[in-house]
Amino acid sequence: MKHETIETNAAWLIVLVFIVISIGGLAEIVPLYFIDDTVEDVKVDGIETVRPYSPLEVRGRDIYMREGCYLCHSQMIRPFRDEALRYGHYSLAAESKFDHPFQWGSKRTGPDLARVGKKYSNQWHVEHLTAPRSVVKESIMPNYPWLLKTDLEYKDIAERMKALKMVGVPYSETKAEYEANVKRFGKDVAKFLDVNQAENNLMAQALANNYDGNKSNITEMDALVAYLQVLGTMVDFSKFEDGYFSTFR
Amino acid sequence: MSATSQVSPQSYNYDIVKMFTIMALVWGILGMFTGVYIASELTWPILNFDTPEITFGRLRPVHTTLVIFGFGGSALFATSYYVVQRTCQTRLWGELLPSYTFWGWQIAVASAAVSYMLGYTQAREYAEMVWPIDILIAVTWVAYLVIYVMTLRKRSQPHIYVANWFFIAFILATAILHIFNNMAMPVGLFSLSSYSLHAGVQDAMTQWWYGHNAVGFFLTAAFLGMMYYFVPKQAGRPVYSYRLSIIHFWALIFLYMWVGAHHLHWTALPDWTSTLAATFSILLLLPSWGGMINGIMTLSGAWERLRSDPVVRFLIVALAFYGMSTFEGPLMSLKSVNALSHYTDWTIGHVHSGALGWVAMVTFGSFYHLIPRLWETEFYSKRLINVHFYLAVVGIILYISALWVAGIGQGLMWRAFDSYGNLAYTFIETVEFLHLPYFMRTLGGAFFVTGIIVMGYNTYMTIRKSRLEKAEFEAKIAAKMASAQ
Amino acid sequence: MLADIFNWFTHLENTKPFALVLFFITFVGIIVYVFSNKKRNKRLESYKNIPFEEKD
Repeated sequence: MKHETIETNAAWLIVLVFIVISIGGLAEIVPLYFIDDTVEDVKVDGIETVRPYSPLEVRGRDIYMREGCYLCHSQMIRPFRDEALRYGHYSLAAESKFDHPFQWGSKRTGPDLARVGKKYSNQWHVEHLTAPRSVVKESIMPNYPWLLKTDLEYKDIAERMKALKMVGVPYSETKAEYEANVKRFGKDVAKFLDVNQAENNLMAQALANNYDGNKSNITEMDALVAYLQVLGTMVDFSKFEDGYFSTFR
Repeated sequence: MSATSQVSPQSYNYDIVKMFTIMALVWGILGMFTGVYIASELTWPILNFDTPEITFGRLRPVHTTLVIFGFGGSALFATSYYVVQRTCQTRLWGELLPSYTFWGWQIAVASAAVSYMLGYTQAREYAEMVWPIDILIAVTWVAYLVIYVMTLRKRSQPHIYVANWFFIAFILATAILHIFNNMAMPVGLFSLSSYSLHAGVQDAMTQWWYGHNAVGFFLTAAFLGMMYYFVPKQAGRPVYSYRLSIIHFWALIFLYMWVGAHHLHWTALPDWTSTLAATFSILLLLPSWGGMINGIMTLSGAWERLRSDPVVRFLIVALAFYGMSTFEGPLMSLKSVNALSHYTDWTIGHVHSGALGWVAMVTFGSFYHLIPRLWETEFYSKRLINVHFYLAVVGIILYISALWVAGIGQGLMWRAFDSYGNLAYTFIETVEFLHLPYFMRTLGGAFFVTGIIVMGYNTYMTIRKSRLEKAEFEAKIAAKMASAQ
Repeated sequence: MLADIFNWFTHLENTKPFALVLFFITFVGIIVYVFSNKKRNKRLESYKNIPFEEKD
């Protein structure tokens, strides 16, 4: 075949270009779905500890995305000594396996947040999010005062969980799905993965923890802090042998 | 209207090219101004004004969308519609459909910008548009492909000129990338929220396959198409080597699709994927420089044009920056370099040496060639073209050197240990260090945006001049007719 | 079967030479085709004048 054949025939040109540009993506993306080692097995006593987000955490994550937090904060710790000291154990693929979409980020204008959960108190987060410079003088983060003032919208929480279920997050709607979750994640977790109880579970978690320090209403701050406090807390590395996770890399 | 110039406006569809050209400049000015504003927010955080709509996190996608899709996209529609007509020697296919692509694209860009400010986003870098806008873009893009292919099919020139190969590859690749990266489940028919089909590591791979090829096809292949027409035309001599263009075309479009994972070095992405991406990134240097050499050598034997013609200067400097950033890119894709550069402002600087130095400069050069031909007049001021050139070059140099300092400096501080083996700096100390480089970067951006505003003014005056000249001409004809009677 | 192929692909010691050989053969093939024949050279280079043949 002469190159002129391609140059004088639009259909040939298109078909060939299409083939040539398809190879790279196919070769790199498709195997990731089929190779088991891509995502680590994280089980303690037969129970998976990396679990889907609770209803309140789902809404908190939505706010995290809405405000574009991922543009300045990564959620992906690399296996380097300085990052281990600063942020903790390197991030596992398993830790973001329920993240639709992933929020690894690409820039650290602020520090990594993959393991920020439980590092600071709820009160610290509330103060910091409302006025970062009141806590860290040199910070360049914007103030987010409206989070405390805005009531959380959660009427559509069941719809949101159903959408997440459609893309593969194991929330339960039927009895059988619930039972499967009990086996997989344990009873306490399975309870708040139940879509039918979504709204109640969301309110219960917000009331019980009172993240924003104000019991009278559920604010966007409640949801966002609930999400931040769970980041990186699902894998207890003391429960695994040294070197276990490196077998997956 | 004179007899000779009557032919072109009738046989070619220039109206659509004019509309996209004007909107490219409008989005360019707005998008680059937004860039300077968010750069200022990083320098002086008080500029966020506690207002949700204008905080950094919401404005940053506004900046990227307006410059990539608003400015870059409209510039590509304009030049590709112009080039395909001229090199195929036929009128653009369809009458209503090209207008549809104009309105579809403008509405998509404008509504995306507004929706981010109101807090509606997919939270995927460079693909933040919510699902209804994604569908609008997909439909518009298919229309674009149909117009382009149908125009190619009715060409009167037997050969499809190399510029069109690049445009075709860009249109096809963008369609594939856009569709696969934006697959998502909407929360409801009347909800703007959606959750992506992929999760975690697969989602990351898909997103950066998209993200880097938005650079590779949208911001590189397509602009090479622009280069292959406008550099020879402005230089008045054919491209250096047609055979080189064949080789580097096929190599470039093949290799680019492999390299996205170099954005995910040292992450939870499996090693084999990111190593593969690094390898192909190094190989990519060859076709990239093939294109650069082909462009620059087109001028060989006519180097004095660099001194006498500011438009040639824009185009050649664009190619030089293209060569520079396609050298820096493979360097940064090495895992050892990436360990330092990733997560820092070095990446942002690298993107801008490509986006300002290559994409914007080659667009400016092409537009300075295009606008006088569309409106059939000389440019209002050649001096202002020169002013624009120097503002732009000073701006780029300030910008990228500031971010080299910021990125490499902060990267080294993050990994520094004191003599006891503890971290030498807290995170916030590295942020304090950034203040001065961030200020210099803002200044560089301000230079660049001043440049495009000068161009906007120059273009406005040129169009006005063209109208006046036409009116004058018609008055003269009318007077002649009257006296003849 | 398909899984085996994927698995083979995940081993770096396979992937690297595979990619290298694949790319190298194609690349050299295109270069040989494009530059080998004098007549073809002339013909191919003639197409670069297309932008200058346009009529307004």
